[in-house]
Amino acid sequence: MDTDQLNRTFAALADPTRRAILARLAEGEATVNELAEPLPLTLPAVSKHLKVLEQAGLITRGRSAQWRPCQLEPAPLREATDWLERYREFWEGSFDRLSAHLHEIQKGSTNG
Amino acid sequence: MADNPVAHGAPTREFTITRVFDAPRRLVFEAWTDPRHIAQWFGPVGVTTPLSSISMDVRPGGIWQLPMIDDVDGTEYPVTFTCREVVEPERLVLTTRVRPGSGTLPDEAVLTVTFAELGDRTEMTFHVCGLAASEENAELENGWSSSFDRLAERLARVTSASTGAAR
Repeated sequence: MDTDQLNRTFAALADPTRRAILARLAEGEATVNELAEPLPLTLPAVSKHLKVLEQAGLITRGRSAQWRPCQLEPAPLREATDWLERYREFWEGSFDRLSAHLHEIQKGSTNG
Repeated sequence: MADNPVAHGAPTREFTITRVFDAPRRLVFEAWTDPRHIAQWFGPVGVTTPLSSISMDVRPGGIWQLPMIDDVDGTEYPVTFTCREVVEPERLVLTTRVRPGSGTLPDEAVLTVTFAELGDRTEMTFHVCGLAASEENAELENGWSSSFDRLAERLARVTSASTGAAR
């Protein structure tokens, strides 16, 4: 895992328009026109966001000059979501034990 | 939320866990601030945090060292927190700095724990906000939002499906 990649991923995800674009691409590939349609943005503005996403490695684009469908690139996103998930699991596991511990010591104190 | 350290940085990743414990608030707070308690619960199943190696200075600026030992192979995972705020028995703020080379974690995370009384029970709210150092991208000020959490869930499904990774 590469920290720079993770930082690029989070930077790219920080923008709501780019999150909207990624959410659309999670459903399947799309062209710039298709991506721009539901957004209150011009085509050049959408292209700019796509460039950021492409540089962050979150999407790839087809080769053909006229028809360049965008596709989601899952690996960096998986790393970002995995980070959160692992840290959350760490604490969820600890809190399960905290709950058991609180239960245990109170049982002891009522008996004694 | 006075003097929230997060406000001075660029929040980039966060989550909240809320738990209700069947214990009075003072006891839950003690479980967080007394090494004899911490040794009993800190770290997920599979590691132990021995009381003999814990050191905790429960004051603003104090350092907490909670080394976790892998139950199977004895590997030690050092965990260090800096205590930022102690409001007994309602609130604790800790930060944790991640050593170089640990890769996937952000450079610093702010952990805010609040304890609210619910009759005889206690609601604990645990909030994590990761901060990444040397962020040059001004857009990071947007931070993460709940909409991103939802997106992350959807993407997690997509990405695990695409690699066939078992969860």
